[in-house]
Amino acid sequence: MKLVKSRLFVNSGKLAPYIFISPFIISFLVFGLYPMGYSITMSFWKWTAGGPQEFRGFDNFVKLLTSDPYFKLSLWNSFVLMIFGSGLQHLFAIPLAIILDDKSIKGRDFFKLTFFLPYITSVVSIVLIFSQLYDENYGWLNYIIVNVLGQDKVRWVTESVPIKTSISIMLNWQFIGWNTLIYLAGLQSIDESLYEAAEIDGATKIQQVFSITLPLLKPVIFFTLTLSIIGGFQIFEQPFVLLGGYEKMGGPGNAGLTSAFYLMATGFSYGRYGKASAIAWLMFIVVIVMNILHKKIVHSDE
Amino acid sequence: MKKNIFLLILVVSVNLLIYGNGTNEKSTSIPPIDMSKNYEITIGTWGQDVADAYNEALMKSDFTGKFPNIKVKFMVSDFSSHHTRAITTIAAGEATNEIEMLEVAQIAKFIEGGGLQPLDVEPFNGFDAGSELVEFAMVNASSKNGRLVAYPVDIAPAVLFYRKSLVDAAGVSLENLQSWDEFINIGMKLTKDLDGDGVIDQYAIPHAVEVSSVPLNGGMSGWFTKDGVPLEPKSKFMEALNLVKAVRDAGIDADLGTWSPPWLQSFGDGTIVATINGAWFGGALETYIAPETKGDWRVTYIPNNSAASMGGSYMSIPIAVPNDKKAAAWEVIKYLCTSEAAQLNSFRKLSSFPVLTTLYDNPVMDEKVEFFGGQKVRQIYSQVASKMPADPVSEYDPIARAIFGNYTTMVLVDDMPTTEAYSSALSEIIAVAD
Amino acid sequence: MPKKESSFNRMGSKISIYLILILFVILFAFPFYYVFVLASQKGTNMYVNPPHILLNKYYFENIGKLFDAIPFGLHFLNSVMIGVFATLGTSFFCTMGGFALAKYDFKGKKIIFTFMVGTIAIPTFLNLVPFFRMMTAFGWYDTWLPLIIPGMANAFGIFMMTQFLEDAIPTDLLAAARIDGLSEFGILMRIVFPLAKSSLAIIMIVTFVGKWNDLIGPLVFLSTPEKLPIPPALTRFYNNMDGDKGALMAGNTLAILPLAVVFAIFSKQIISGLTAGSIKG
Repeated sequence: MKLVKSRLFVNSGKLAPYIFISPFIISFLVFGLYPMGYSITMSFWKWTAGGPQEFRGFDNFVKLLTSDPYFKLSLWNSFVLMIFGSGLQHLFAIPLAIILDDKSIKGRDFFKLTFFLPYITSVVSIVLIFSQLYDENYGWLNYIIVNVLGQDKVRWVTESVPIKTSISIMLNWQFIGWNTLIYLAGLQSIDESLYEAAEIDGATKIQQVFSITLPLLKPVIFFTLTLSIIGGFQIFEQPFVLLGGYEKMGGPGNAGLTSAFYLMATGFSYGRYGKASAIAWLMFIVVIVMNILHKKIVHSDE
Repeated sequence: MKKNIFLLILVVSVNLLIYGNGTNEKSTSIPPIDMSKNYEITIGTWGQDVADAYNEALMKSDFTGKFPNIKVKFMVSDFSSHHTRAITTIAAGEATNEIEMLEVAQIAKFIEGGGLQPLDVEPFNGFDAGSELVEFAMVNASSKNGRLVAYPVDIAPAVLFYRKSLVDAAGVSLENLQSWDEFINIGMKLTKDLDGDGVIDQYAIPHAVEVSSVPLNGGMSGWFTKDGVPLEPKSKFMEALNLVKAVRDAGIDADLGTWSPPWLQSFGDGTIVATINGAWFGGALETYIAPETKGDWRVTYIPNNSAASMGGSYMSIPIAVPNDKKAAAWEVIKYLCTSEAAQLNSFRKLSSFPVLTTLYDNPVMDEKVEFFGGQKVRQIYSQVASKMPADPVSEYDPIARAIFGNYTTMVLVDDMPTTEAYSSALSEIIAVAD
Repeated sequence: MPKKESSFNRMGSKISIYLILILFVILFAFPFYYVFVLASQKGTNMYVNPPHILLNKYYFENIGKLFDAIPFGLHFLNSVMIGVFATLGTSFFCTMGGFALAKYDFKGKKIIFTFMVGTIAIPTFLNLVPFFRMMTAFGWYDTWLPLIIPGMANAFGIFMMTQFLEDAIPTDLLAAARIDGLSEFGILMRIVFPLAKSSLAIIMIVTFVGKWNDLIGPLVFLSTPEKLPIPPALTRFYNNMDGDKGALMAGNTLAILPLAVVFAIFSKQIISGLTAGSIKG
C-alpha cells in the first residue's frame, strides 16, 4: 500500500510540470499555430484583401532587404526608439522602485498609484494631451521654449531628431510607472537580513544599493530588458497617433516610421498582406538575434 | 537545391489549400432578390448622424413600399474604428456587414486587391443603374479591367471658403481668382499683425499643404497613369510642389495641422480668413467648428477655377456576404445612391454632396443657405462637381500618396528643392509599388 | 525595523527624495487630471488657446448626456465581466505554467521556455486577420470568448510568473510540503498561490487593465451593441465629424476611475504582501 502511494507520488511529481505547462501548449496549438502558418504562407505571396494573387517565393524578403527604401530605415528607427524609448525608462524606474521600497518613505501607496496612472489613462486622452503638448505653434512645450527660454521653436512632429525625441518622451512617460511596479515586485524577494548585515558592517544606503540590491535584482532587470527589446520593436501606437496615422508614413524623412508601423501601414493601409507578413518575420528574426546577444552580454558578466 | 525549392512550393501549395480563403474563385451566379423572403441588412458606417440620415431615407414609403421585406440595421463606430473593423473583416472574409461604407481613401486598395463584390455583373448591373451618377466617382471605384467594386454615395467638390468680414476689412476680394499668383498676392494682404505686437495673428489659410492637393484632384486618384507609370504628367506634380512652396515662402499659411485643436479653433476666432476644402466642410463649420460665425462665411471657386474633390464616401458589398443576401443589400445601396429622395435627405442632413447628377439642376441647388449669408453656395458646389476630372485609380495609390505627401512636407520644413522632392518621391514609389 | 531609517536620516536627502517623487507625481498625474478637466467643459467649446487647465462646471451635465446616449451601466457591467473572467483565468494558468518552469526540472523544459519567449517576439499585429477567421469558424463571433479564452495561458504572463516565482517560492519549502504528503496540485494551490501574492497582483493588474482598455478586440469580435464593453461603446457615439467631446471625456473618467481603484487594492499586495520573514515563519 505504502509502496503504491509513493510510486504514484513520484509519477505525479514527474508529470506535474507537463500538466502545469500544458494549457500554454494547448492554447498555442489551438490559437497560435493557425495564424502563424497563415502569415508564413502569406509572406511568400503577393496577398491582398482578396487573398493570394501571385506566388513570390522569397521575393518579398529579398526586396525588403535590398531595394525597399523603408525597411532598413524602419529597423534603425525602431532600434533608436528601443534605446531611448523603451530602454531609457529603466534608469528612472529602478531608482524610483528602490525609493518606494523604503518603508520610511511616507505615502508610498499614493506615489505608487500616481506613477501607475499613465498606464491606465485612456488612449483618447493621452493623444489629446500630447498633441497639445507638441503642437508646433500653440503647444505647451514650444510656448515654454519660445517665451520662457527665448529659444527657437522645436518642430516636434516634423523634424527627424525632434520626432524621435517626442516619441521617446511619450514612451517613457507611459511606461516608467509600469516598470517601477515590476521592479518593486522584484525587490520584495530580496532578503531583508542582507541589508541588516550590511548596516552592521557600516555600509551606506548607496553602497547597499550597489552591493546588494542591484546584483540581486539582476534577473528581474534581465527580464524587463528582454521585454523592452521585444516591446521596443513593437512600438507602433505612439508614432501613429503623434504623426498623423498611416497617411504620413512616420513623418518627414520617415523619422518615426518604426518597423511595426511599416508593417501595419503595409498591411492595413496599403492592403499588402504578403509583404507585411514578410516584414513581420524579418522583425522576428531581428528581435531574436538581439535577445540572444542580450543574453550573451549578461552571461559574459558572470 | 532544386529539390528544396520543389518542397517549398509543395508546402506552400498545401498551405494555400488550407489558408486560401477562396475569394479569388469566380463567384458563382448571384440570385436576384426573392420578394417572398425577408432580409435583414446591416450597414457598417461611421457616425450616428450618418446612420440616422440613411435610416430616415430608408423609412420613406418609396423604399418600404417597394421592399417591405428588407429590414435595415446599422453598426456605428467612429471613423477610424469603423475602418479598422471593416478592413479586418473584409480581409478575413468573415462576419462582415452586408454593406460596408468606405471612405474614399480606403477604396483604392480594394479595387485591384479584391475582397469586395463586383457590382457591374448580374443581377446588380451597377453601371446601368449608375448612369446618372457623377462620372469621376464611378471611375474612381472601377478597376483596370472594368470591374466596379463600390458605389459612390457622396462626393466632396472642393471650393474656397472665406470670411467676408475679414476679406472686406483688408479691402480685397477672393471671388473668381484667375491664378494662384493672384491668390498668393491677396493672401499676403490678408496675413497681418492686427494688434501690432510683432506677431502675426491673422493668416490667409491654415496650411500650405491644402493648396497642394488641388492640382492632384484632392489626392485620391491620378497617381499612376493607365499604364502604371507613377507621378505623370510630371508638370502636374511639380505644380503641386511649387505651389506649396510659394505659399509657404509668401508666409500666408498658419502652419496648423488639420484636425489639431488649434486648427479647429482657428476658423471661429479670426486666425484664419480662408480655406480650401470639400463641400462637407460647410456643414462642419455650421454644426460644430465655428457655429458662432454664422452669416460671415462665403464660398467661391478655387483660383484658376480648378476642379478637385476633397472627401467622398462609397458603399460596398464584401465578397464574403452570403450570395443570397447580396441582391437585397444592393437594393439598399441603389436606393441610397441613386434615388433623389435619399440623396437629397443626406445632402440636407449631413451636407454630404449628392452623386446623383440629376439633382445638380434641382431647385434645391438654388436655395439660399443662411450660414453663408444667404449665398446660393450649392450652385457653386454642383458647378465644380460636374467638371471634376476622372483620373484612374490604382491599388498603390495609398502608398504613393503617403510618399508624395512626406516629400511635400520636406519641401516645407527642410527647404528641399522641389525637383529633388519629385525625383526622390518617384524613385521610392517605383521601389515600393511592386 | 530601524535598519533602513538610519541611512536616510539626513533631512536634506530625505527632502530631495520627496521633491523628486513629487515632481514625478505632477508629471504622471497631470494627464489623469486633464481627463477630468476636459470632461468638465462644454462640448463644443473644448479647444481654446490657451488650453483649459482648470476644472469647469459642466461635468455632471456631460455625464447626463452620456447616459442619455448610451446604456453606460450595461457597458460598464460588460467590461467588468470580461475583465474579471479574463483576469481570473489568466492569473491561474500563468501562475501554474510559471510554477512549472520556475520550480521543476523536466525534460524539454529549456526548449519549451525558449519557444515560449520566442512566441512573445512574433509581431502579432497581422495575426488579427487569421485569428478572426478562426474565431468565426469556432462560432465564437459575437461572443466574449475570443476576448477571454485565447489569452489565458499567454506566453508573456507565464514568462513573467516564471521570473517572479523563481525567487518568491523557496525550494526547501516545496520539499517539505512533499514530505508532508501534499500533492503537486495541492502545492500549487496551498503554497504557490498564497506566497506569490505580489506577482499575482501584477499579472492581475496587467490583465485587467489590458482587457478594460482594449478597443480593437471587442470592436472586431462583437457586433451586438448590448454586448460591448466601454471602449467601443464610447466610440459609437462620437466621431471626427462630431463636436461633443465633453460627454466622451466624461465617459472616459468613468472608465478609468475603477482602474485606479482596482490598482489601489491590488498594488497593496506588491509591497506588503511578502517578506522573507513570513516565508520562514
